[in-house]
Amino acid sequence: MSASSSQALEYLEQLPVQTHRKLYEQPSTVLAIFRCMLPQMAKTIVMAMLYMPTPFPAGGLDAWFRPEATKVKKEALYILEKLHITVLTQDASRQSACSLYSGFAKSLRQALEGSGSHRSFGVPSNKPEPNKVSIQFLDEYAQRQWENILFYMVGSTVGFGSSVGQEVGKGTKSLLEAGDFVRMSHGKMNITRTGFSFVLQDTNAQVWSLLIEYLRHASQLGMSETDVLNFLFMLGSLELGQDYSTDTLSPTQKQMLEDLTAFGIVYRSSKTSSTFYPTRLAVTLTSDSGALSTTTDPLATGGASGPGLRSGRDATATGFIIVETNYRLYAYTSSLLQIAVLSLFTHLTTRFPNLVSGKLTRASISRAVRTGISSDQIISYLSAHCHSQMQKTTPFLPETVTDQIRLWEMEGERVVTSNGYLMKEFPSEKEYRDVVRYAEDVGVLVWKDDANRRFFINGIEQIQGFLKREAEKRKQRG
Amino acid sequence: MNDIDGTVRTVVKDEGPPPSLLTIVLDTNPHAWAHLSSTLPLSTALANILVFINAHLASGNANCVAVIASHSHKACFLYPSPTPPSPQPHHGASNGEVEMNGPADRPIYSVSDNPNKYRPFATIETAILNNFAKLIDETDEAHLSATPTTLIGGALSLALSFINKSTIHHSPTSTHADALLSLADADGKHSERTTLTSRILIVSVSGDLANQYIPMMNSIFAAQRKRVPIDIIKLAGDTVLLQQASDATGGVYMKPERPEGLLQYLMMGFLPDAFARKTLIMPSAGGVDFRAACFCHRKVVDIGYVCSVCLSIFCEPTLPDNLCMTCGSYLSLRSAQMNPPALIPRKKKKKRRAGGTDSATPGGSTPAGSSTPMHG
Repeated sequence: MSASSSQALEYLEQLPVQTHRKLYEQPSTVLAIFRCMLPQMAKTIVMAMLYMPTPFPAGGLDAWFRPEATKVKKEALYILEKLHITVLTQDASRQSACSLYSGFAKSLRQALEGSGSHRSFGVPSNKPEPNKVSIQFLDEYAQRQWENILFYMVGSTVGFGSSVGQEVGKGTKSLLEAGDFVRMSHGKMNITRTGFSFVLQDTNAQVWSLLIEYLRHASQLGMSETDVLNFLFMLGSLELGQDYSTDTLSPTQKQMLEDLTAFGIVYRSSKTSSTFYPTRLAVTLTSDSGALSTTTDPLATGGASGPGLRSGRDATATGFIIVETNYRLYAYTSSLLQIAVLSLFTHLTTRFPNLVSGKLTRASISRAVRTGISSDQIISYLSAHCHSQMQKTTPFLPETVTDQIRLWEMEGERVVTSNGYLMKEFPSEKEYRDVVRYAEDVGVLVWKDDANRRFFINGIEQIQGFLKREAEKRKQRG
Repeated sequence: MNDIDGTVRTVVKDEGPPPSLLTIVLDTNPHAWAHLSSTLPLSTALANILVFINAHLASGNANCVAVIASHSHKACFLYPSPTPPSPQPHHGASNGEVEMNGPADRPIYSVSDNPNKYRPFATIETAILNNFAKLIDETDEAHLSATPTTLIGGALSLALSFINKSTIHHSPTSTHADALLSLADADGKHSERTTLTSRILIVSVSGDLANQYIPMMNSIFAAQRKRVPIDIIKLAGDTVLLQQASDATGGVYMKPERPEGLLQYLMMGFLPDAFARKTLIMPSAGGVDFRAACFCHRKVVDIGYVCSVCLSIFCEPTLPDNLCMTCGSYLSLRSAQMNPPALIPRKKKKKRRAGGTDSATPGGSTPAGSSTPMHG
């Protein structure tokens, strides 16, 4: 599970059980959820149970895991339960057992075996296309569309004038505003804290963030959430460079195509075309590989002129930033977008045709921190895009620099807040200790105070379930 | 409060497990599968293995797979499809080869545009089925009658070389010079950087592989050194060798009682990769038979004779010319058998005059601690 799909997982987790059940009717969706959303151990458990004729007894499951790995097991089972993939059953002799939700199991089997007639992996268009587009064209198209969106968000904040954002559609603009990525104030657009973290993510995570925002607003537009999700997961399992027919799509999905074309996720030659091409943004939705950084042919993109957004892209494939231990930063790029992003937290001084240089200063970092960028975001952005020469050392960035960035950030924030619940007034020491241990195991414990039997957690659902089970046990015993 | 002081300097970018390469060595020995045909025909087994491969690919986005057939007369790749050697300029009829298999090369199965199948699965499946059909077509009666067993040693070395190659490709700093460097020194330094975790799964049906003892053992030691676990699923027959292979490399050994449930065995016992195995209790062979096979007749022996120079094992003392068959050094085993080992009588220790500490063992007549049983 990568960082980019974890936000999709978060979104999926909060869906109600009916939506889950409906989603699991589509084999492509099930396969995509399995491939990208589940942690490794959850996958192992699912696969072990997939062809098992009887439910997996809980005792057997315990015996299968090493005793020191209970934490991993609980986490995996918790996610599976939350996504309603596994069902806990109790047989006549009160032995609890675990089994897969039948719809999920059926669809996953169909996906693995390639059986059934669900046609959920995309219907390739059989009609000969007179003007078939190349993969390179699709890449350029996706890149242009996506960078326009990013530049729209960043450009006006760092003062590139008001000319930016003319290529971005009205729907996209309102979506960005609705997702609180940008905010209009006094007729001037400003990027928000969420917007900053959005821009600094890798492309794949950006696409997911935007799509999740899209999903949240889908119901307002009269679209069914399941339809939208199914379509997104299907897009992730398509093949780049192949045209697919729109005939089997539902009306909702046809409506979606238009919006996705605006994002650069799919390409259609015209609005009424009966076929569509997924771009690299789409086919990497359900994989870890970077969406736009895999541009294959540097010569092909190097020659492109345009608004100056694309020409620097070829450097991204290998990384373009060099940070020295004296906080100087050199970036081999001529892309306005990258320069704009860098200038969010760097004091840039000089610009050459293919290089900008500057310095990470206390002022520049604390300015970034004040506007809502965290030090971790800066560090991960720098290390994700650092030059291949720097990638030879571990860690990629000089430690003095990363430490100093963190220290600069900490100057402003000495207190960490976390939302959650305080648990107190436990009747007995044993009960307190049991619950604390459980909270620690599932990883929600933030702070504890053994003397006063109090602790603080940032997630309540699991603890509630645990307490309920404990209470039942006590009732049975007493 | 410790987590905000920035002591964790390495930015954890990807928490996911490393990509894993699964190399399946499929024993396609026709003789053995003929025996199994009533419970588990080869076609069913292959279908099960294909589902298993899909499950493996679905378990991780960067996971990859290789399939090698260990047939009766040759070992060859089923996936990735072997690339045909680059077309050489024709030397007339110098090698006497006539292009007879031109039309037969046509793929029997083609990647259909099946909307019910995930595309990457379909490509791999088609490649495996095509190559397998080709392999079966190439097998004629002469091949079958020549040998009742399978070339597992060759297949294993193919698997190991493929794993080595992929590991170098996958290594994060895989510049050309580095690849050469890591080829040159295969020591720990390289394996630290490795991000690809590989394992070998042998689906074995043939018994009696003792005639390949030496190549097998060499492959096993190579795998051990490269930290590649060898998993064995033994559907029929029994060999000492394969048990040792999984034991030495830390792999899983399973001999299913009901071969028809192959898929469930595969899914539960063999799907977890090295990362997942850290948290699971994996099945293993209970008692491992560590017997070796002799180098002269390829028989599994309980007690044998060992060359003192090269440690080759022989089952009987009559060697031609009293020379070791492996290293050629003089080795007279006959004398070892004829004369019982001589026992040099123990010299009397000089009695110490000073101090009466020795009073417990008067005269030093007690034999020294290690009592070697002697033949009378």
